[in-house]
Amino acid sequence: MLKIHGLKKKFGNFEALRGLDMEVEEGALYGFVGPNGAGKTTAIKIMAGLLKPDEGSVEICGKDALRFREEAKDQFGYVPDEFGMYDNLKVREYMEFFASCYGLSGLMGRKRCEELLDQVKLSDRADFFVDSLSRGMKQRLCLARALIHDPGLLILDEPTSGMDPRTRMEFKEMLKELCAEGKTILVSSHILSELSQMCTDIGIIDAGKIVLSGNMAEILQKVNDSNPLLIRICGESRTAIGILKKDPRVQTIAIRDEDIIVNFHGNRQAEAELLYSLMEAGIPVSGFIREQGDLESIFMQITSHDKGKVVLSSEE
Amino acid sequence: MKSNPVYKREVTVRARSFRMPLIILVFNGILAVVALLNMYSAVAQVRISASVQYSSFLQLYAFVATLEFLLLMFIMPALTSGSISGERERQTLELLFTTRMTPKDIVMGKLFSALSQLMVLIVSSFPILLLTFVYGSMDLMDLAFLMVCFLVTAVFCGGIGIFSSSLMRRSTFSNVCTYGILLLVVVGTYMLNIFLLNMSQMQIAEEIYQLGETRPAASSGSAVYLLLLNPLATFGEIMEKQVTGGIADLSIRRFLGNGPDNFVIRHWIPVSILVQTVFSAGLVRGAVYFLNPLKNEKK
Repeated sequence: MLKIHGLKKKFGNFEALRGLDMEVEEGALYGFVGPNGAGKTTAIKIMAGLLKPDEGSVEICGKDALRFREEAKDQFGYVPDEFGMYDNLKVREYMEFFASCYGLSGLMGRKRCEELLDQVKLSDRADFFVDSLSRGMKQRLCLARALIHDPGLLILDEPTSGMDPRTRMEFKEMLKELCAEGKTILVSSHILSELSQMCTDIGIIDAGKIVLSGNMAEILQKVNDSNPLLIRICGESRTAIGILKKDPRVQTIAIRDEDIIVNFHGNRQAEAELLYSLMEAGIPVSGFIREQGDLESIFMQITSHDKGKVVLSSEE
Repeated sequence: MKSNPVYKREVTVRARSFRMPLIILVFNGILAVVALLNMYSAVAQVRISASVQYSSFLQLYAFVATLEFLLLMFIMPALTSGSISGERERQTLELLFTTRMTPKDIVMGKLFSALSQLMVLIVSSFPILLLTFVYGSMDLMDLAFLMVCFLVTAVFCGGIGIFSSSLMRRSTFSNVCTYGILLLVVVGTYMLNIFLLNMSQMQIAEEIYQLGETRPAASSGSAVYLLLLNPLATFGEIMEKQVTGGIADLSIRRFLGNGPDNFVIRHWIPVSILVQTVFSAGLVRGAVYFLNPLKNEKK
């Protein structure tokens, strides 16, 4: 659906993008994350045709979006970090205005507006002025506006910033629904826990380059595989440590309170074998679990610029 | 233009706002007060002298037309100078760029909506301007000619406003820039001509002429052609033509001396209207260029 290759952009001497490559599959809910100043908004603005790159290509639905700008505009909807509202218009007028900006006018335009207002649960507010809406409602209206021409791709830049948890949850559900309907969604956000719950794919950008990208579940699995095992023994742990030391897949062993922390390289089968060997030796194991990794820990690892701590890299 | 969404939205919002009727009221109120006072004074003179001075009604026409012209020159920039920078400040400009709207559509929509509002003002002031018709002396052609002048000036001032608005990020700067350019064009060109005329007069006064030799008339030289850009000079010429001995000395003749009598000078009004129209088109084109987010940026 969206392919970006070798995107470069300089602002004066500052290199905002240094050869950004990324691909968003059709139907994916792609989380685009990175620290402040990493180049997220620059990349998004180039995708939306609001900035001209120095080098590189952007393909939307297989078409060169930089060369065929007008055709590309019909393929995506854009929700910026600021809502961009005409406060002196009513909700219905706001929608109809943007419908007419896409050439949808008359009965067809009105029908589409009603459908979308219904979808984002703003039908009852259709005759209210936009400035009377709450922040959450404005964001829903903004989403409805981006969908007015029924695009295949939605590009959302920090859509949930400044929202309360309930509104964020509702918005997240809305995005999931849209994804289930077949829309491809690229969403940038700083709230990583939220992205890990809803995204199917993720791309981490740092210093103008994608440093990690892929399927969310696979990445989390990779992180989990490199996380330590937490083993809890009832009573004395010396025998258990002796057994663990003998296993060639065990890298390091440490004791933290009641837990033995084991850096273990192996899949689930190998984990089961290790547990079996402990049980066979008659060691009363009360806990055996792989520490769970989350998007936040991946993000911190990738963007910490501390090579020693990195367990995942784009090469993996 | 009706199908331009930006035009439609602007017209809807302006028609709904309280500002529009207020501007019409104030604008026509000022015109009406001035016209009626002027008329009252003319009628009072009739009572004293027992003779009707038709020239005073012509002066009424010139006075009201000049006031209307000056008001238009101040209102049009106000309507346009914040139009695009306002969209930028509201963060809605980027949204428009992601739709099928082109920078040209946006600029034209903004300019024509401001012109529509101005046309409402001009048409609403017709009854006041036509007071002179009660006593004759003016015909519809004169009025039509004046309307063309108003329209060209409105496009000119609107063009400056739109250009500044497209160039500047903030409406405040855009306002300052618009009125600055307008002042430079309207007052600056006159000041330059007056300065050069004075210099010329001083030079002639210093020179010694023999008996019988005629002193040349002072002129501002080629700088007079700069007045082609000045809508006020065009208006002054129109008033000069329609009402001999207009109320303001805006005529270009005073700067010419024994100067050239060429095609431009002979056809000053149509040539200046053409020059101003071309200049306005250039400003609109510049506004479209600066508005384009994908224009070549300076590194």
